[in-house]
Amino acid sequence: MSTMQTKLLEVRNLTHRFDQKLALDNVSFDVYDGEFLAILGPSGCGKTTILRTLIGLLDVDEGKVSIDGRDITYAPPSSRNMGIVFQNYALFENMTVLKNVQYALKMKKETRADSEEKAMAMLKAMGLTEHAKKKPSMLSGGQQQRVAIARTLVLRPRIILFDEPMSALDVETRLALRAELKRIQKEFGTTMIYITHDQEEAFAMADRIMVMDEAKLIQIDTPMNIIEHPANDYVQRFVLDNLQIKVDSLTKYIKA
Amino acid sequence: MKKASFFPKATLPKVILCLIFIAFVFFPFAQMVLKITSEDITSVFSSPSFLPALFTSLKAAAITTVISVLLGFLLAFSLNRTNIPFKGVFTVLLVLPMLIPSISHSTGLIVLFGTNGILSQLLGMNGTIYGLSGIIVGSVIYSYPVAFLMFSDALKYEDGSPYEAAQVLGIPAGRRFFAITLPYLTKPLISATFSVFTLVITDYGIPLKIGGKINTLATLMYQEVIGQFHFGQGSVIGLILLTPALVAFVINLVMKRQSKMGFVTSPVNIKKNLGRDAVSFTFCMCVLLCILTLIGAFALVAFTVKYPSDMTPTLKNVMRMLNTGGRKALTNSIVISVIVATIGSIVAFITAYFTSRMHSAISSVLHLFSITSLAIPGIVLGLSYSMAFSGSFIYGTLAILILANLMHFFASPYQMMYNSLSGMNQNLENVGDTLGISRFRIVRDVILPQSSATLIEMFSYFFVNSMMTISAVSFLANARTKPVSLIIEQFNAQGNYEIAAVIAIIILVVNITMKTIVHFTTGTIRNRAKIASAKR
Repeated sequence: MSTMQTKLLEVRNLTHRFDQKLALDNVSFDVYDGEFLAILGPSGCGKTTILRTLIGLLDVDEGKVSIDGRDITYAPPSSRNMGIVFQNYALFENMTVLKNVQYALKMKKETRADSEEKAMAMLKAMGLTEHAKKKPSMLSGGQQQRVAIARTLVLRPRIILFDEPMSALDVETRLALRAELKRIQKEFGTTMIYITHDQEEAFAMADRIMVMDEAKLIQIDTPMNIIEHPANDYVQRFVLDNLQIKVDSLTKYIKA
Repeated sequence: MKKASFFPKATLPKVILCLIFIAFVFFPFAQMVLKITSEDITSVFSSPSFLPALFTSLKAAAITTVISVLLGFLLAFSLNRTNIPFKGVFTVLLVLPMLIPSISHSTGLIVLFGTNGILSQLLGMNGTIYGLSGIIVGSVIYSYPVAFLMFSDALKYEDGSPYEAAQVLGIPAGRRFFAITLPYLTKPLISATFSVFTLVITDYGIPLKIGGKINTLATLMYQEVIGQFHFGQGSVIGLILLTPALVAFVINLVMKRQSKMGFVTSPVNIKKNLGRDAVSFTFCMCVLLCILTLIGAFALVAFTVKYPSDMTPTLKNVMRMLNTGGRKALTNSIVISVIVATIGSIVAFITAYFTSRMHSAISSVLHLFSITSLAIPGIVLGLSYSMAFSGSFIYGTLAILILANLMHFFASPYQMMYNSLSGMNQNLENVGDTLGISRFRIVRDVILPQSSATLIEMFSYFFVNSMMTISAVSFLANARTKPVSLIIEQFNAQGNYEIAAVIAIIILVVNITMKTIVHFTTGTIRNRAKIASAKR
């Protein structure tokens, strides 16, 4: 982890209100190039709000977001060099898997042949070649998620955001997809920001973990450091006590 | 950099849509109310025919409601909670009365049970159908499908797990019905009761002829306006007729707000029970037989020389109907229905898209406006149009009939699309935003194709209802613009039942054709989706 220190995303004093209620309270952090950052917190803590403001689906009330030094606080979502995979994937059900992946390329005025070639290459990388002509509803949950990843990855974003993408999947598929995500991260060098309320998932996958509570950032650090130096009582209770039983086996996982 | 919101709220188009509803629903209604004078009010209430008409209306509507709701419930229960065969056939045939104008049910009953009627001679009950009993029988036939569909919808989507839990706990079947089914059906029961009551009390088509000398509020209003041009007095009666519809609207609104989206974890398991099935099947057959007899009566009379004296089969009535103004009226009806269905489906789609997928403060106002037409009976809307727009350039053209039908029938198709769009993944446009695909393209390439089945159903709803309506258009049509449903009355009045029957059959055939096309196209669309998900 310590070897990757190129700053990619810079978030400063990010604040967002729903009506008068603070959903994000003055949050600042950096994301390094190529890292896997998990944002961990209970529901309603503001983690989805962070994601949506980062990609521009929610207006920023105060604060600044920049990528590679470029201010994108008020840039439209499509010009931020980011992609997002939603909890329920939001695939285009009326299009084939190939068309789902190809659609955005066509919008960018790429020729049909070019876009199809790129989309097919992406499907191959995701192990979806044989499903290219199928509709999303014919695929399993795990396969649908891979389509959603392929659809955003084909535009080669610097960062992909994941909004609790595994909550609808069964345990086996989740474990397989964990490995798959790590593989994609390495293969494409894509930075990933991953939202979850599952402590085990965060500790198993992330290079660093950001713990949130009630619209505030509580602690951001490597899993090992969080285990060894929890910032406060809340981190101890919400993160570590919940993990206690599994800590031994997890330590092994993280070190590997 | 300037701080700006990237989220289009479509405020301008929403405001324009709201203004359209204000201009074509609220403004005419206000015009109608404002033009009422105190003389109108006193003359209505002091008229000797008012109180008897009010009592007849209340009595007929109340009795009809009890029978129709009970009938609708029993049919819905039979078709959703038993294992009887031919459920699909029953479902289709039992709602046939919804496809013809109310006034035609009165034609059918007269042909069967009127003086020298086909069945009255057999049963020796000459002429007794005229009056309250005829109004009630006609109204039941016209209105029970509404209750049936409401209960059917509720029963179809009831969750089976409470029944399984009750079974495990050893609660007997009878108790399960009273403890689970009935409470679950409270809301559809209230909705169906109000809908049927409103439908019956505001309909003038059935009582007009079969009521004989008896008046209801609706026929009184109709005669005040059509016969004597007493618009003000018609308006006063219209306001009275508006009351139940308004109450129903408010109650439905409150119930919607309270209801939570239910999850169906498992469908209700229907146990084997031959006795129950036999009773249910016999019951459904009996009701169906009544309906088919009535429609058979149309068919018979439509193709005989002169009912009841000369029953020789003939096709001449069709030509006679076409040559006595029928051709023009039929063309008018088709033109009106196609235009209403086309414009209505498009506007309802756009409106539903704005309210379901582009939330802002004005969305809820637009949503409320879009369903307001449920609160205004067709006969009241029609009268308000004739008072607000008489003298304007659209008066006396097909355009005003089209407008009235559009507003009158807007709510239901709008709600179909609203539900369909609300159920679609809420992040589709967001995905488009992040991938650089415009909202317009997402709507065109993703949302519209996925709503095609609903869109076709909306088209059919607008079309079928515009084909058979008499209520919203009766005060607005003239000799040139009359739709075919409105000329039934003149043939009924002349005792020319062959031609009245021909018209009913034509409307029925056109509407069945429409429904069949819709059934097969949406069936194909849904099957494709089903096959797709089954293949995984």
